[in-house]
Amino acid sequence: MTNNKTEILRTEHVSKSFGSLEVLKDINLTVHQGEVIVIIGTSGAGKSTFLRSLNQLEQISSGKIFINDELFLHRENNHTIEKIDPIKHKQLMLEMGMVFQRFNLFPHKTVLDNIMLAPMTVKKMKREEIEPLARKLLAQVGLAEKADEYPNRLSGGQQQRVAIARALAMQPKIMLFDEPTSALDPELVGEVLDVMKQLAKEGMTMLVVSHEMGFAREVADRVVFMCDGVIAEDDTPDNIFTNPHHPRLKQFLQSIL
Amino acid sequence: MKKALSFFDVRKWEKDTKILCIVILAIFLVMSVFAIFKPSEADMKAQASEAMQELLKADESRAYKSVITTYNDLYFINYCSFVSEGANAMSERYVGFAGQVFDASEGTTKVVGQMVNYTYRMLGCGQSVLYGAKLTLFLTSASIVIGLFFSVFLALGKISKHKLISVPCSAYIFFFRGTPLMIQMFVIYLAVPGLVPNFNWKGLFSANDPDAVFKGAFVAALIAFSLNTAAYCAEIVRAAIQSIDKGQYEAGKALGMNHSQVMSKVIIPQTFRRLVPPVANEFIMLLKDASLVFVIGLMDITTISKSISMNGEYLVFVPALVIYLIITAFFTFLFGKIEKKFSVYE
Repeated sequence: MTNNKTEILRTEHVSKSFGSLEVLKDINLTVHQGEVIVIIGTSGAGKSTFLRSLNQLEQISSGKIFINDELFLHRENNHTIEKIDPIKHKQLMLEMGMVFQRFNLFPHKTVLDNIMLAPMTVKKMKREEIEPLARKLLAQVGLAEKADEYPNRLSGGQQQRVAIARALAMQPKIMLFDEPTSALDPELVGEVLDVMKQLAKEGMTMLVVSHEMGFAREVADRVVFMCDGVIAEDDTPDNIFTNPHHPRLKQFLQSIL
Repeated sequence: MKKALSFFDVRKWEKDTKILCIVILAIFLVMSVFAIFKPSEADMKAQASEAMQELLKADESRAYKSVITTYNDLYFINYCSFVSEGANAMSERYVGFAGQVFDASEGTTKVVGQMVNYTYRMLGCGQSVLYGAKLTLFLTSASIVIGLFFSVFLALGKISKHKLISVPCSAYIFFFRGTPLMIQMFVIYLAVPGLVPNFNWKGLFSANDPDAVFKGAFVAALIAFSLNTAAYCAEIVRAAIQSIDKGQYEAGKALGMNHSQVMSKVIIPQTFRRLVPPVANEFIMLLKDASLVFVIGLMDITTISKSISMNGEYLVFVPALVIYLIITAFFTFLFGKIEKKFSVYE
């Protein structure tokens, strides 16, 4: 069903090791437009490392990453093999937005300035050009009235919603979520998941590392189970949760459900 | 811009700031009242004893004066002394305050008289108001500003991944922190003109300028102080940069900013508040190190006090201490304000 849709992101044989420790082993994953993929797995399985490798917060050891079906990164033995034109590279990089576990909002800037900073510095947009979009995004995440507050005045859930708006302001094609609700108090998780569900409904392509099984079941098109640095199972949420094959997945689901 | 202006908006000041301003204003007002009732210079001079008056009269008609008359006017208080030399050596001292003239030959009034005299000489050096304090203040303020500016680049250089940048920056910091400021100043003042042909420090100013020598020495001192404090501040800045959560850098990167954009827009602005306490510390240390300028012939608060202390009078340093404390108090207050201004988001 998803095969005839445009491909947004593809990894081929992505591996990553810290010294002798292999964290990612030959990861192949394709993400199509509008897909919501939730990556689950035990801790230390390499989920976050994989996500962070995509936008080069971690440097992969070997493998290829394609964005919009164009080569973004090709490395072998810890060396970049094919030099990508830096302008092209940057352009492809900007197709990815990222939301962090610890929000990482800029504490010295107001909520509105947090959202506008990257468009103004990276895309060289004028304040007047970006402000309407920034305010619209804030309204979208339900925080229109918090525009002039500093992040530390907001609750964790509100901060994470601002972080989502901040990533969206760069108008990415795919959003990467690195355990977006793990640092939140339980009663604040819902508001962030609601924003993410809304985003999924609007057709945003999303790659989510999460422990929220309810979210995965409800929103995901595919659930990817990772363990020991490999993708052990990649299937629809129904199949993953009701008919798991991999013994480690069975064990994992038992331990959390 | 709006924020910067609000700093100067009296209505938004803290309560204790207002109290402090009122206290300073009150002291000034009280001093002004005393200044109105201060005995005039003629009144003070008329106090001299008859024997002294005779000597003074005799002095009028000869080139060599046998009496040294000193008159020091310090806004609300004044001091007058007559010291005669020769066979009939006499000395008389008077302090004028609140419409009264006090004999200051001994006891408390003597100390007060000395203080007035020392303070007057230290501040004015007889000609320009706050001469020594001005030099100390200007030297330390200018060098901390220049030093802080360069220290940001040194700190970024030192933590750079490129060896070609990080090694020279580390070496610079190591050298300037590892050698005494006095020797650095000496070398810059004396060795640079030797190494550069047709260059000397006073040559920076016009030959007609009577102060060219001092101005030249001041430039040399300013360079030495700036280079030195840049090294110290670089370590402060480096520590502040490295204390910022790594997630901030990653967030900037993930939004597509390059290294220098992340540094200038995200990381460095966040270090400002953390920089204030250690930089204030460095500033106050520098304020006192300014006395080292005596090695190249300049005078600051300490060296002026020392130079006016005749016969090893230790009390001469009391006004110096008070001036240092006033300057330090002012800057402690100012740095506190700056720190508060940068912590609005915390």
